[in-house]
Amino acid sequence: MKILIIEDEEGLRESIEEYFTEDGNICETAHNYQVALSKVNLYRYDCILLDITLPDGSGMDVLKIIKENNYPDGVLIISAKNSLDDRLDGLNLGADDYLVKPFHLSELKARVTAIIRRKTFGGSNQLVFNEITIDLLSKEVKVGKQPIKFTRKEYALLLYFLANKGKVVSKNAIAEHLWGDGIDMANNFDFIYSHIKNIRKKLMEAGCKDYIQAAYGMGYKFID
Amino acid sequence: MKLLAKYNRVNLITTIVVMLITGIIYYQAISWILTNQNDKDLVVEEQEVFDYVKLNHQLPQTFQSDDQQITFTEAPPGSVKREFINTIYFKKVEEDDKPEKHRHHHHHEYEAGRGLVSSVTVGNQYYKILIVESKVETEDLIQLIFTITICVILLLLVTLVVTNRLILNRIWQPFYSIMKELRGFNIADTKEIPQVETTTDEFKELNKTVVDMAARAKLDYKDLKIFTENASHELLTPIAVINSKLDTLIQTENFSPQQSKLLNDLYGAVSRLNRLNQSLLLLVKIENRLLHEQQQINLKELTEEMIGQFEEIFQDKDIQLNYNLDDKEIYASHYLLEILLSNLINNAIRHNYRAGSINITLTVQSLIIQNTGESVPLAEEKIFTRFHKSSKSEGSGLGLTICRQICENFNYTLNYSYQNSYHTFTITF
Repeated sequence: MKILIIEDEEGLRESIEEYFTEDGNICETAHNYQVALSKVNLYRYDCILLDITLPDGSGMDVLKIIKENNYPDGVLIISAKNSLDDRLDGLNLGADDYLVKPFHLSELKARVTAIIRRKTFGGSNQLVFNEITIDLLSKEVKVGKQPIKFTRKEYALLLYFLANKGKVVSKNAIAEHLWGDGIDMANNFDFIYSHIKNIRKKLMEAGCKDYIQAAYGMGYKFID
Repeated sequence: MKLLAKYNRVNLITTIVVMLITGIIYYQAISWILTNQNDKDLVVEEQEVFDYVKLNHQLPQTFQSDDQQITFTEAPPGSVKREFINTIYFKKVEEDDKPEKHRHHHHHEYEAGRGLVSSVTVGNQYYKILIVESKVETEDLIQLIFTITICVILLLLVTLVVTNRLILNRIWQPFYSIMKELRGFNIADTKEIPQVETTTDEFKELNKTVVDMAARAKLDYKDLKIFTENASHELLTPIAVINSKLDTLIQTENFSPQQSKLLNDLYGAVSRLNRLNQSLLLLVKIENRLLHEQQQINLKELTEEMIGQFEEIFQDKDIQLNYNLDDKEIYASHYLLEILLSNLINNAIRHNYRAGSINITLTVQSLIIQNTGESVPLAEEKIFTRFHKSSKSEGSGLGLTICRQICENFNYTLNYSYQNSYHTFTITF
């Protein structure tokens, strides 16, 4: 997939670029409003990561131009402003999602993947990974033809892993994804372990190989 | 002591003292003038006696009048010194018109009198003359004057007290209005202190000072809040960078256990820093009432939802959860209520022991969250202050502050109590 990262903060831009590029995607970057505008007008992307506060303009204006020209690109706003008004403004203008800084790269990846999935597959809501088939509408997971019952959190976690396959996903990122960052789960990482244990058990009982690896006590990695 | 009472007391004392002094001076003056008048009469009488003696070479007939008595007594020559004396005047009272009460006076009434002792020589005989004049009228006059003076003093005092009370109360009215405004002053409020209607310069000045001060305080407070918000916002970007760099770093392979531990600690610290920062931002927003999107919320459903969020944790810590939820609709911000509930439930779990219990009760009047924990009551006045936390807590120290702020925002009260070994947090709607 082809992604445009519009972000003025160099450190963040580089990290995002690196995280997404490794996956075999094509990433382009823009560090200010002017560059962003020219790229948006010239090329099409599967997803545009859009920072609202740019040194020479507002990301909202970039979004307006995308929508005025009916460019089909998915747009994910990454903003430091965690206000509902901004969020609503962005979504009303046609952004697909809104992520507040600071975020985990794995969370960003999961969101971008979801946007692209929605854009690309249209009506089809099947996610297939090897022998695992996930129906995104009915939230059903099948291995081969055999349906597996996952709890809500286990299902969310599986999708999260699939979006970040091959990457080490930190426990913090998992906790924030499952419980939201409003809830402080710092002392409660044990649940992540038990959730993951359950997912592994269920998948392996259905005949999958062990996809989930623990990574140095910091997190987990979903490998092919 | 009220200013009015103080003022009245000083006023009263000085008035009484001044009035008394004036009264005394007045009395002395009048009595001196009247005595002088008596003395003149006596001298006139004496002169008459002298004239009579000169003309007739004998003593005049002593006659009795209502207010004067003259007596002549023989005396050795040169033994009498002429002088005015204060003496007693015997007044003869006729049997018929004598009033009842004077009966014991035996036909005489004693009255204050003024006398003149003088001498005259008739032929070879030397006589002492004693002319006595009744001073009763003088005394009466002085008494009258004195009574009038006292009455005037009393009247003046009463008038002073009453008018002071009435007028001062009215005059001080602006002061009390300003006081009332000051008492209701809330630095976080947007309401300004209004101008108080007054024509008194001092109160105008006071009012102006108060209004200025309030405005300045508000401005400073606003600056502080803006600073907090800006600082927190500025912190977001570096935190985001650290976070993303850490996420990138762990993608590189082969960490030793020591490195893994360091990275884990880093993650934990950044995550805490982030939560702290978010909490600060949230506090500023709630205080600024920037989160006003409110809606009808079924609190029962929301509470059940939040309980669901924590389900695994209850199970994991073997915490027994008892809840009894009545239907309760409120009009509030969904976002803030979620934070409120999750903070309170999170605290109830965090400060609980293994296999402890949590009770959640929702009624129409209140939401009560109780948890077992350390069997020492917490200090209620401290736990809601910023950055107050137990030494063991890994929270931001802002959780309960945020909870209370949210409750205040919707005019609920949040209280802590320790009941039957349960730490109890009560939200009263």
